[in-house]
Amino acid sequence: MTFRALWIISHDKGRNATTRFSRRFSTVEHRAKRMAGSSYVAVPEDSVVLQLLLIELGLSDPDKPYVALRDDCLNRPRPPFLELRVDASGKELLWPVLALLQGPLILACLPLVDVPPEPRPPLATLLSVSQGLTFLAGLQTFLLGSGSKPDGEGLASRLGMLPSVLLQVCPLGTPLDVPLPGPPATPTAPASGGIQKQPAWKTGLHRGRATVSVALLETVRSMQYGNRSRQDLWDVYGRVTCKCEVEGVLPNVTVTLSLPPNGSPLQDILVHPCVTSLDSSVLTASSVENCDSSAFSGPYKFPFSPPIEPFRLCCYTSQVPVPPILGLYQLKEEENQLHVTATLKLHESVKNSFDYCEAHLPFFNRNLMGGVDVKVSSGQLDVSKEKNRLVWTLGQKFPKSRECTLEGRISFTGQTSGPSDPLCANLTAYIKLYFKVPDMTLSGCCVDQHSVQVYSSAKPRIVTTRELQSKEYFIWNSTGSAPVSSAPMMM
Amino acid sequence: MESDLVQRSSLFCSRPSSFLCETSADLFLSELLNELRDDRVSPAVKVLLLTPLIEHPSLLCGCGGEGETSLELMSVFSQCPPKWFQLRSQLLVALTSVLVCSSSRASQDFVELLLGVVQDPGDLSGDQGVYCVRVTAWECLRELESCCPGLLTQHLELLAGLRQRESGRGHQGAVLLFALTLRNAVYHLTQDPHAGAENLRALLGANTSVAWEADQDLRTCSGSDALHSVVRGPMGSVPTLQTGPDCKELRGVVSSLLEESYLLTPLSQAALLHRLTELVAMVTAVSPALFRAQLLRLMGTFEVSLLHSTLLLKAAFTDSLFSAEDELFFLRRLLVLSQHPLLSSAHKLFYIHCVLRFPENRPISFSDDGLPVLLTPQLASVLVPTVFNDGSTLLHRLHLLSLVHLEEGEDSEESQGVAFLYQLLTALLHMVESGATTDLTVTFFRACFLFLLHFLSVERCLANLMQRLAQLYLRHAHLAQHLINLVDRVQDRLPESDWGIGLLTALQEVIVQAPPTQFSSHLKVLSRVAEEEVIPQQKTLHFLFNVVRSASSSACGRDNWRLGNEVLVVCRRLLVHGHLDRLLVPLGDILHHMTCHYGDTDIRDHARLYHALLTTLSRDKLAGVLTEGGTHVKKQTLCCLMAESEGLTRALTVHQVEGPVLRLTAATPPPQESEDQSEGEVAADVLTALQTYRAQFSDPSFSSSFPLTFRLLHVATPTPGFDRLYSVRLHFRLTDRHYESLSDVSVPCLFRERPPPTLTLTLKPRHALPTTLYVSALFSTEDGLTWLRPLPDLHITFRQTLLPVPVPPALRLQVWEGLWEEFEGGGGMVSLFCCQLEEACLQALIQEHFLPFLVSEVSQQEVKVLHFLSPRSHVLLKLHPQEDAVHFHIATDTAQLLPYVNAYLRTITSRGHTPSSQDHAHSSQDHAHS
Repeated sequence: MTFRALWIISHDKGRNATTRFSRRFSTVEHRAKRMAGSSYVAVPEDSVVLQLLLIELGLSDPDKPYVALRDDCLNRPRPPFLELRVDASGKELLWPVLALLQGPLILACLPLVDVPPEPRPPLATLLSVSQGLTFLAGLQTFLLGSGSKPDGEGLASRLGMLPSVLLQVCPLGTPLDVPLPGPPATPTAPASGGIQKQPAWKTGLHRGRATVSVALLETVRSMQYGNRSRQDLWDVYGRVTCKCEVEGVLPNVTVTLSLPPNGSPLQDILVHPCVTSLDSSVLTASSVENCDSSAFSGPYKFPFSPPIEPFRLCCYTSQVPVPPILGLYQLKEEENQLHVTATLKLHESVKNSFDYCEAHLPFFNRNLMGGVDVKVSSGQLDVSKEKNRLVWTLGQKFPKSRECTLEGRISFTGQTSGPSDPLCANLTAYIKLYFKVPDMTLSGCCVDQHSVQVYSSAKPRIVTTRELQSKEYFIWNSTGSAPVSSAPMMM
Repeated sequence: MESDLVQRSSLFCSRPSSFLCETSADLFLSELLNELRDDRVSPAVKVLLLTPLIEHPSLLCGCGGEGETSLELMSVFSQCPPKWFQLRSQLLVALTSVLVCSSSRASQDFVELLLGVVQDPGDLSGDQGVYCVRVTAWECLRELESCCPGLLTQHLELLAGLRQRESGRGHQGAVLLFALTLRNAVYHLTQDPHAGAENLRALLGANTSVAWEADQDLRTCSGSDALHSVVRGPMGSVPTLQTGPDCKELRGVVSSLLEESYLLTPLSQAALLHRLTELVAMVTAVSPALFRAQLLRLMGTFEVSLLHSTLLLKAAFTDSLFSAEDELFFLRRLLVLSQHPLLSSAHKLFYIHCVLRFPENRPISFSDDGLPVLLTPQLASVLVPTVFNDGSTLLHRLHLLSLVHLEEGEDSEESQGVAFLYQLLTALLHMVESGATTDLTVTFFRACFLFLLHFLSVERCLANLMQRLAQLYLRHAHLAQHLINLVDRVQDRLPESDWGIGLLTALQEVIVQAPPTQFSSHLKVLSRVAEEEVIPQQKTLHFLFNVVRSASSSACGRDNWRLGNEVLVVCRRLLVHGHLDRLLVPLGDILHHMTCHYGDTDIRDHARLYHALLTTLSRDKLAGVLTEGGTHVKKQTLCCLMAESEGLTRALTVHQVEGPVLRLTAATPPPQESEDQSEGEVAADVLTALQTYRAQFSDPSFSSSFPLTFRLLHVATPTPGFDRLYSVRLHFRLTDRHYESLSDVSVPCLFRERPPPTLTLTLKPRHALPTTLYVSALFSTEDGLTWLRPLPDLHITFRQTLLPVPVPPALRLQVWEGLWEEFEGGGGMVSLFCCQLEEACLQALIQEHFLPFLVSEVSQQEVKVLHFLSPRSHVLLKLHPQEDAVHFHIATDTAQLLPYVNAYLRTITSRGHTPSSQDHAHSSQDHAHS
């Protein structure tokens, strides 16, 4: 439940790697030494750790095609759970090292092994490993914000705050909490008096008008092959984010998710730790077993006592009968030209009102485009010759028929070769759809304003929103071989 | 100055070893403590200056300084105003670090201090600063109890009371400490065969003193067993406490802690849950059903550590808490989590580990890869790897799926699952063929290895894979090393398989038919092929001949040399091939052709040597010459490049000795020549004496060096073959810039049975400061080989740099007087060191340490001492016995020496002359002039 050391390293694809921050927890190291006895391996100095981490993460010597230590095919611990070979003979192993790679940063920590070290215990028996994951993920959000690209100055100032942040959340190697994103606040002394104790995760109290905002965001992914021999795939998952500005030390709020009468049950529900109680029926439906149509299908009640900052109340997956947009993509090679046809059809159950809807048609492993003669039945087409990509902007609406087509010819007569992707050899190609539909969900799931209950004196303002967005929505060329993305049902 | 020390602190933290080569730990520590005491230094800077003490307390206060350091820190803490709460918190953390790592006796005071902070009732109303410090104090207490289980047992009742009073983070700290202390106390009881319900009740009740006498000192902490978690999955045995059925008190405490757990942050909740799991596991009378109320909440969470602690709960209690239905539900839950689209890939991979090691109620095996029985291929199918996964995810999933399908047993040839995994492999291969990144290529070869490791019996796939890899190589010869590595690993891990041989044969086949390019890669592969006796080498020879013939006709210098070398590497392998007799003629032809026609002279020479060896030596002798000393192959670097005969080069190579052979110890210097008394005329006055003294330094070489004597001897445990050494040459390397570089020292011979020789090392200081020298020895053994071995580092101590002043004895007092006046008048630094010494002790001290440096009579009231430090530094002492203490007045012209003087005086006055309890009576003051 404790770490021996912590490192933050910045690098540029393996180059110019530097240790930006490190912390050794000497008292934990003292324990590690006593517990491991003769199998104790000391933590090397930062520069050594840096090199070893780069090797194990496959980042060292980015210019060399093969480095024996880095590229050995042997079955070894893989990121994020690493083992560092401290000496040349490979006998002294520093294990388990957790390392998260995010953009230009490597965040790593060395959890304490609090069970006898020989024989090596499974990772799943060490509570400090999962604590390390949580802590590093929190640290990552603290340093980089929710995006993955930090600006240099922002990162530097965050790193500067780190010593005082650590003094609060992990002064002696045992993480008490994750670093909170946003400006570091010194914990305010809890309000005294009253029967209720203030929770440790609540950094302050809200005063003023009560407001509860609940946002439901559903995401749909799809792989469509346009091929009878292969089943199209799609899935939907949703997350409910809340921001509760409610007075009181431990206010009670209940949010209820409900489905339309014929909706299929929400599956794989995961909830925030602030949810106080759960009905067992909420958790029964799961995507890893056959769906039972008689299963519980709501309403899903989540009673909780909110933290002060916005948080993800719960998430779920859902099985919907059809994908929102059905596509067909066909390419034919015709004497130095590529004949392209594509059809997109919006399902009737989906509201024909988008925030945006775009189809991207990239072409890889070819020379740059020469002549492009492509027509679309609706929307507009942008040709990005330097990227070998067509961008078909469908805008806010599909036409009345809910169907639109693209057809034409492209010749790749440029002198230089365009972008490459090993996945897309020959006629393997795809259309990727990007869209967002406000005020709807595919599963039909919604949060009714009136179902949000707040047990407090003042009547709160309640705001609920929902929207649907796409992610990894692929339509593969049906005349080429498309990569398999999921197993057929194996009995 | 401040920022400089801050910078040096961070330098120290990142590279402590090289930092301490240049500065002594004592010196650095005293600098840090000085700054911490200094009121002018801002609290923010002081916070940073505490970092070295927090991160490396044992390096800084390793040799007995921790008691004093902790007292210093405690006094800084007591003087620190409450508004500087960050500094106060950091001080508590630093104190904890120093005390834990040194197990000092001051710990009891510190525990009292911490208990005082957490009990302070004045601040419950909400002073933020005080609250922060209190939260830190809770955490420090928890760390002390973790490092020294049982330390706080006697305060359990107090802690229970404070837990009720606290709120927010303070409450969290109190709960964690209380649970840990209780856990440790119960663990202690389990170790006592006579302990029972009585003791447990006493522990939780008011009267803890009857429970037992707890260890209350960090020094007497019990062994490391108590530190280990007692929950180790189904195989570990848990120490238990037999209490009979009645355990109401403990049950009450555990359930109240569980109810409050909701108030803790998820990370702390997980830790608390784990502590309580341990506690209930040790007391069998408490039913684990206590946890039931929490289970649904815990299994529904997306917080990884909470779910993990639930998994550990399952490991500890199996079917006494989880029914078969619960168990299946839990496993499904883990499978959901291990591929949930909203979790990060690191979290998902962790859940895969959890699935692999799922602690079942009725496990069938405990082997390393014992999959849970409940994990059917159908359930596992949600984790099927695809090309869209990142490398690590793909390999983790492939590993799990391979294990699942391996369970299917004999019919794996027909298994759809295996077919699917193979399909994945070919999809990856396809991507590598289309020019994948290094990352993907490496992933592909790792996936191949994993597949081979599990499905060696699925011959149809394996034969196909072999052919496809050979075809892949044909298009991407730069993958040669990946392929060789794959073959090596397969042969290593699966020695019974001939798949590796098959792949090499297939590679040989494609290479000889390949168009004549990429020779370098091809030759690398062929040299690996040549290691296999079962593979016929005729095709290789044919290929080599073509290469040599085309290379001989072209004329490009450097590449030609390289190519020739690569060909020779293959030839060399063939020379030791098991079926050399069949290769004799064609190999001879190739070597002969190279000897006569190759463009590069160097290559021609080597080819000639090989040709000569091949044609003149019998096969056995040839193998003998070329494989002799095979174990040393890796030690030769440059020679390997030339594919030389190792037997010939071995004698020319410097070898590394594995273990220690020699060491240096300090020796008493040979008696110095009696000093010339004749010049000892009494000088007229102080000024003249000083002038006479100073005039000597116009010669730059005057007193610019000093000798140190050492003995060179064998280490106690003999290494066979190293008892008689010849031509020993010692090389000294500096670790800092305080000294001029040293010349080597030679010893003609060194025999274990003879007395060790005495060596004199002449040190020429730039600044007379203590230092460390790296020493290495180069020597020959009786068999004529040359060896290199580093010796233990040589430390030049401050004492060793002290010399008598280079002036006739009669002038010394005047010189002393003159210098003293000068330094005191602003030309140097003065300082005072006090300590309690009895008269007899003082006399002994003077006799032992100051006799060569005395300038006054010992009997006098004041004793004057003059140290000279080459090249031009002085340390003057005036010993002045007072009623209660001896005052050591110090004057010097070199400020950097003061900390060393202090440390030196502290050492010699505390060693044998003073009882150690008077340590704290030391005090020192520095006054800087200038």
